[in-house]
Amino acid sequence: MTYKEVQHLYWRAGFGLKPKELQYLASFSKEALVNDLFQKSKDIVPLQKDLSYLKAFPQERLKNEAQFRQELARRNRQETKILNTIWFKRLEKTPRVLRERMTLFWANHFVCRDMATNYILKYNTTLRTHALGNFRDFVKAISKEASMIKYLNLSQNRKNSPNENFARELLELFTLGEGNYLEKDIKECARAFTGYHFKFNGDFRLIKNRHDNGIKQFFGKEGNFDGDDIIDIILEQKQCAQYICEKIYSYFVNSNINKEHVAEMVHVFYGEYNIEKLMRYVFNSDWFYNKENIGTKIKSPIDLIVGIQRMIPVYFTKNEELFRLQTLLDQFLLNPPNVAGWKGGKSWITTNSLMLRIKLPSMILEKESYSYQYRGNRKNLRIVSVKNKYQEKLTVYVDWKAYKKSVKKVSLDMLKDTLILCEVNRGTANYIKRFGRRPSRKNLVNLMSLPEYQMC
Amino acid sequence: MKRRSFIKNTSLATGMALVPNFLKAFDDLVPNLNTHRNLVVIHLKGGNDGLNTIIPVNNDIYYNARPKIAIKQKDTIRLNDELGFNKNLLPLKKLYDQGYLSIINNVGYPNPSRSHFVSSDIWQTASDHSNILDSGWIGRYLDKYGKKPYNAIQIDDDLDLALRGERRNGIATRNAKQLYRSLQESDFNTILSYHDPSHHHEHNLGYLYQTMIDAKSSAKYLYETALDSNLSDSYPKTSSLSNQLKVVGQFIKSGLDTNIYYTSLDGFDTHANQIGRQNKLLKNYAEAVGAFVKDLRKNNKFRNTLILTFSEFGRRVKQNYSNGTDHGAANNVFVIGENLNKSGLYNSLASLNDLDNNGDLKYEIDFRTVYATVLSKWLNADDRIVLNQDFEKLNFI
Repeated sequence: MTYKEVQHLYWRAGFGLKPKELQYLASFSKEALVNDLFQKSKDIVPLQKDLSYLKAFPQERLKNEAQFRQELARRNRQETKILNTIWFKRLEKTPRVLRERMTLFWANHFVCRDMATNYILKYNTTLRTHALGNFRDFVKAISKEASMIKYLNLSQNRKNSPNENFARELLELFTLGEGNYLEKDIKECARAFTGYHFKFNGDFRLIKNRHDNGIKQFFGKEGNFDGDDIIDIILEQKQCAQYICEKIYSYFVNSNINKEHVAEMVHVFYGEYNIEKLMRYVFNSDWFYNKENIGTKIKSPIDLIVGIQRMIPVYFTKNEELFRLQTLLDQFLLNPPNVAGWKGGKSWITTNSLMLRIKLPSMILEKESYSYQYRGNRKNLRIVSVKNKYQEKLTVYVDWKAYKKSVKKVSLDMLKDTLILCEVNRGTANYIKRFGRRPSRKNLVNLMSLPEYQMC
Repeated sequence: MKRRSFIKNTSLATGMALVPNFLKAFDDLVPNLNTHRNLVVIHLKGGNDGLNTIIPVNNDIYYNARPKIAIKQKDTIRLNDELGFNKNLLPLKKLYDQGYLSIINNVGYPNPSRSHFVSSDIWQTASDHSNILDSGWIGRYLDKYGKKPYNAIQIDDDLDLALRGERRNGIATRNAKQLYRSLQESDFNTILSYHDPSHHHEHNLGYLYQTMIDAKSSAKYLYETALDSNLSDSYPKTSSLSNQLKVVGQFIKSGLDTNIYYTSLDGFDTHANQIGRQNKLLKNYAEAVGAFVKDLRKNNKFRNTLILTFSEFGRRVKQNYSNGTDHGAANNVFVIGENLNKSGLYNSLASLNDLDNNGDLKYEIDFRTVYATVLSKWLNADDRIVLNQDFEKLNFI
């Protein structure tokens, strides 16, 4: 495997590699590397978050006191922000990169938002549990999650007064895609999910007298279907496998869909709906490593920050700064924009977000920054380096020792191959030639500041 | 040497000669000052309580629903027999007296969302609640009519959804120099000075380089075009909105080729102990707008400017237990300008007898008819293309 191919695999299935990891892994075969990725991600480890504060909020009092409920809501908002930092730390440190990557993907597929920290943590655990499992079990589990039941108004979905919100998104966003069902299907689907509710602890509960036990007609079938039956019928539609495979291809391979490649994936996925098998097929296929797929994806803000952290350990000492960065770069973990999730690709980029992205490495890694400016009068201009007054600083701790160790005996060329996957602009390549040969701090910052580093 | 000519000289001297032609091809397009119109949008974030802003001073339902937080008649400035301004809005009352303010009551949309997040998105994207679009209404205006990112400017660090289109985005900056300095302090300019534009990339990397080029030209344009001498010192120093409008005033007076400015004032989510907080915010708002209008009028720019103020929702008629109000629905919208067709009260306040199931005001006017009106009658744009639907036009302008 070439460095580029290995790094491509590790960027799409994980969050990139350091130079020496890259050198080491490049000696293995593709199959061995893919196997290793799955092997390392076998365990399911939920995020660890202390929820003991909830003991001070007993159910009975919450039921009776509006002000008490508001107090809990306020507390939950803080605690969910802490959960955000815990997830961030996981992304940075985990050796189970594939499971983490898949969890991020599914969090942007089964999009959900809930400020109740215990419920959204449970939801997150369900995402990682099924991330490489069976898609059928996955959809059924999602439909029974407290956060989802709240988010898409399933608890308001009752016999004789159905709420179609969940039913619509189940078909439109989670399984089939827009235009692959009738409005009547949504109505019948909503009936099957009536009575869905959850207990105080977040466990699923079906309220029987709210459930519609009548006969439903759905995709040509007739019967007293419940929610799980409906999901089974949806998965019988090949369109479901088609929709999911297109979405996976678009995220992991290329947003320009290659119909033949997707057809191969559907063949693997349809029927069994085994996600691990599908992902193994993708990462083992030759086309995954085609030139047009390497380094052509714009990194998400999470990819960008975590990618830097995985190259050189960076500790945010003020959570607020990490939150601010996520806000400015438009991806706040656990706070998706809407039920369709982050659009990704070019939509990450505005004039402002790109300026910040280019500046980010120096904001994180450089204690002081200087720029070259011209001083003097018109006749007598000279270049001086000026300490930047306006540079925003992040109060981060950067572990330069660890970096130094990780680039010992590594050339600048190797560092460049590690950091940049796409074809470099001809002019920019000339700029890089002036960097010299050492993987110094300055050169690390310079390379990470290139627009080419925004690609993965 | 004047700053502007200094910049021109130094930028030539600092290697602009090496920069590819298309960067230099950019020239300062001076908009036609006679026909150029500005729209200034102010978002009162958090959900402003419209009932304590424009108060139904003779309505028993109002006073009964809010035993602790109703605004007493003596704390209002009478508008007519039924309504009065919160007395903290004195500068607004003066505009009202001059015929420069139109108050549109009961603005909202069907099936209202009471989430800040969702309702802000609905207002910013001009969507139905059932189908929230990905792009903002100003962004879609730029898609159709914009040429440069600075055709729509938000005075902030980051860009709200409202200014993000399908293909084009507006630009966010706190002042005329922020972007320019920001570029000086990173490798941005250096990278662009080496960049070879004849090298064609696959579309994503190509898009990044193109965005960098646009950023540089926008930053330079703002730095050179917005003159410090146009920064008036007659604004109060009490609120962030005041600072934002001061910058908008500077930009407008400098003749920027910008049609839409976007600003905001945060903090209106008054669930508890509302009175003091909201009064302070309303005072900040009214003083900032008063100073802004004065600044524009002095410089003969007010006639080219329309100011639109909205909030993502109003608040519940009945107060809650913590002397505040919870999230509601329909609310008032303020339109300020010299050329109003119908100033004063555009319509009367909806009945407090006939509330929705949540106890909130029912909407009468879809907020998108306000957008449609502003787009077609003020900005001479085809509102149907921008809003994806044909909305009724109102006659406040």
